[in-house]
Amino acid sequence: MSEYILEMRNISKSFAGVQALKEVSIRCKPGLVYGLVGENGAGKSTLMKILAGAYRADAGEIVYKGAIRDQASTAEIIDSGISIIYQELALVRQMSVAENIFLGREPRNRLGILNLGELYDRAGELLKRLGIRLNLRLPVSELTIAQQQLVEIAKALSQNADLIVMDEPSAILAGSELDQLFRIIESLKLQGVTVIYISHRLEEVFRIADEVTILKDGELVATRPIGELDRATLVEFMVGRPLDEVFPQTEHEQGELVLVAEDVSTDTILAGVSLELYAGEILGIAGMVGSGRTELARALFGADPLTGGSIKLAGGGEARWGSPAQAINAGLALVPEDRKTHGLFTALSVRINVTIPILSSLTRLGVLKRAAEEAVVRGAQERLSIVMSSSDQETQFLSGGNQQKVVLAKWLSTDPAVIILDEPTRGVDVGAKFEIYKLMRQLNDRGIAIVMISSELPEIIGMSDRILVMNDGRIAGELAREEAGEARIIELATMGGSEAALT
Amino acid sequence: MNQTANLFGGKSKRDSRARAVFLRRNGPIIMVYAFILLLVIIGITQSERFFTERNLTNVARQSAFLGIVALGQMLVILTAGIDLSVGSLVKVSILVSAIVMNGESGNVLPAIIATLGLGVLVGLIHGFLINELRIAPFIVTLASLVILRGIGLTISSSPVGKASREVMMFYVQKIGPIPVIAWMFFVLIVLTMLLLRYTVFGKYLFAVGGNIEVARLSGVPIKAVRYGVYVLCSLTAAVTGLLWLSRMGVGDPAIGDGIELQTITAVIIGGTSLFGGRASVLGTLGGVLLLGITANLLVMLGVNQFIQGLIQGVIIVAAVALYKQEGD
Repeated sequence: MSEYILEMRNISKSFAGVQALKEVSIRCKPGLVYGLVGENGAGKSTLMKILAGAYRADAGEIVYKGAIRDQASTAEIIDSGISIIYQELALVRQMSVAENIFLGREPRNRLGILNLGELYDRAGELLKRLGIRLNLRLPVSELTIAQQQLVEIAKALSQNADLIVMDEPSAILAGSELDQLFRIIESLKLQGVTVIYISHRLEEVFRIADEVTILKDGELVATRPIGELDRATLVEFMVGRPLDEVFPQTEHEQGELVLVAEDVSTDTILAGVSLELYAGEILGIAGMVGSGRTELARALFGADPLTGGSIKLAGGGEARWGSPAQAINAGLALVPEDRKTHGLFTALSVRINVTIPILSSLTRLGVLKRAAEEAVVRGAQERLSIVMSSSDQETQFLSGGNQQKVVLAKWLSTDPAVIILDEPTRGVDVGAKFEIYKLMRQLNDRGIAIVMISSELPEIIGMSDRILVMNDGRIAGELAREEAGEARIIELATMGGSEAALT
Repeated sequence: MNQTANLFGGKSKRDSRARAVFLRRNGPIIMVYAFILLLVIIGITQSERFFTERNLTNVARQSAFLGIVALGQMLVILTAGIDLSVGSLVKVSILVSAIVMNGESGNVLPAIIATLGLGVLVGLIHGFLINELRIAPFIVTLASLVILRGIGLTISSSPVGKASREVMMFYVQKIGPIPVIAWMFFVLIVLTMLLLRYTVFGKYLFAVGGNIEVARLSGVPIKAVRYGVYVLCSLTAAVTGLLWLSRMGVGDPAIGDGIELQTITAVIIGGTSLFGGRASVLGTLGGVLLLGITANLLVMLGVNQFIQGLIQGVIIVAAVALYKQEGD
């Protein structure tokens, strides 16, 4: 048997005339971690879906465990020891954590009847071994997205795989959960398991990968041992040009007060959050997943009802809102965390996605002016350099970065005074990330106040003028840009509840 | 050969992509119309009576009866809802209009107002239960199907009331070779297309059906949209009740049963997704014509009416199975 557990040779694949992969080859040895990087649309996911048997390659061959693999069913591939954790969570929301982990492979007794006791015992053992603390009997719908991701990982590991593909597992993990993931990967390596790790976050690739393969526009750019790469070269490989600075800076003074939230509480998790927001600034919101960051964004935007406290526009007097529609009228915009379920109509055109909040202003005598709609879309396309085939294109066929730009375009069309960005660069490639940062600065220059929630500390520190750290539904502390360091933020974010309440 | 491929590589690639997109969007509709064409050819070759003015006029009129309600049903399904009550509402509408009219010309206007008012009322009740009490559209309109049918049969289990002379004449009137009722359907088709393409309400229907949470977070007035769409759908049923009165001449309580399933079938055959966010007026028209012509043809060919149901069922499954292949 060869020293490689997996060889994918000269794989090509095209969809409806678009070449997604062109003669891409990768080789993996047992017990190593392979980073697979590239911008969105580079072909990483397509390559992995071919490995998983979800797509059939147009050309090329897959040699797995020394034998050429023919087209096989998903079940056969899982049985052969390949396990794939997709970006999109594939859990049954109504079923419990343990049931999800053993879905399709439930332990049964001799009569073929489900053995629930064994199911929960085995799930418990597995989670314990992985150091994941979760209530096994909780339906998955009750978990945070990050916890769901951990369940997904546990599910893959329960299949005793020899090769595990993780497609951006870290996109929704932060802080301690990420450390936990890396510990799991390290222990897998020791057991001789091969891991293919797809990520946008280069720090992670450097931290965990032994070898890195870079794809661009469906072609293989390079495969290098991690030791031969530094961050700058890797970025250059990915985008095809050097990126001078990651966080664009501008000098500006604090503007006027635009929004005041006092003692905001909700049914969700918020317990008395107060904040002030000034024109032209970026207020960073840091904190662990589940600390109430997203809930704060939703409360500010009127998406969740307040059980206490108030949110007011400064200057505008007593403007208040109880629904997103009213918040939009008051000049707010929310770019939500979960683009596909809260941000985009994925099956609808770019046009309707961009114009939906301002449709009524694009009419004459009740009739929509198609030319005006197109003008809005064209303006957004030019301003944000959105890559699309036409304004009729369904947003599900855009890359992650372009999808995010469409969501941004939608909210810029409303000409807001306050924009709340919840994880604005999640699942966005390096090039598009930089464009989003630049856009944020341009908005600042026009006096727009930005609230930015992010799990990426470099982004929080690099972009924010002030940083609020959330912990358990409260503000654990405020840091000025100068005093903010990763250690200080993590300290505030992870303090025990009682201490947090004191600050 | 190789050179040609290089020279035109870029263009043909774009063409094939555009073709793929066109096919994916319009494949179902093309298939439905191809099937209709096939049926027409079978009709012409296999039956002397099929391709006669008299028969085609009948098909057009029957299609209009089903089609007007199917348009309303399509709008509701576009929002990821469903309206199971339309058949029962047609029944109550023909009874109410017949009773109010009572054969008097002077009562035509009051009868129309009463019937349309009933449609608006039923639509508002549906909207209220779905919006304010958050009951699923399926449940709300299922209850309404049963309740309205009960009301209809309580009003009378035998024919009541009477259409006025003008109303009865309306059924046979033509403009050119085409019955006025078919023209009405045609106008409503055009209006629905314009509604979906050129009005804010139309776009909001797509938004609510596409993803209701995204719609809410985008400031779409979800409740107003749902009130609107259920009222529109009930209105199409009320109008169809009036048309049935013009055909029957009396308030016949046997009218209306099963229209809900026929309209849903037509909408689905037309490529509209039951999950919302996608709709096609031409597709729905195709679905209506396909059902209408199939039924007509089976009668022409003297096929047992129980087998008709079976054949229609096969058509539904075949049509939907074909789209699924086309979609991939």
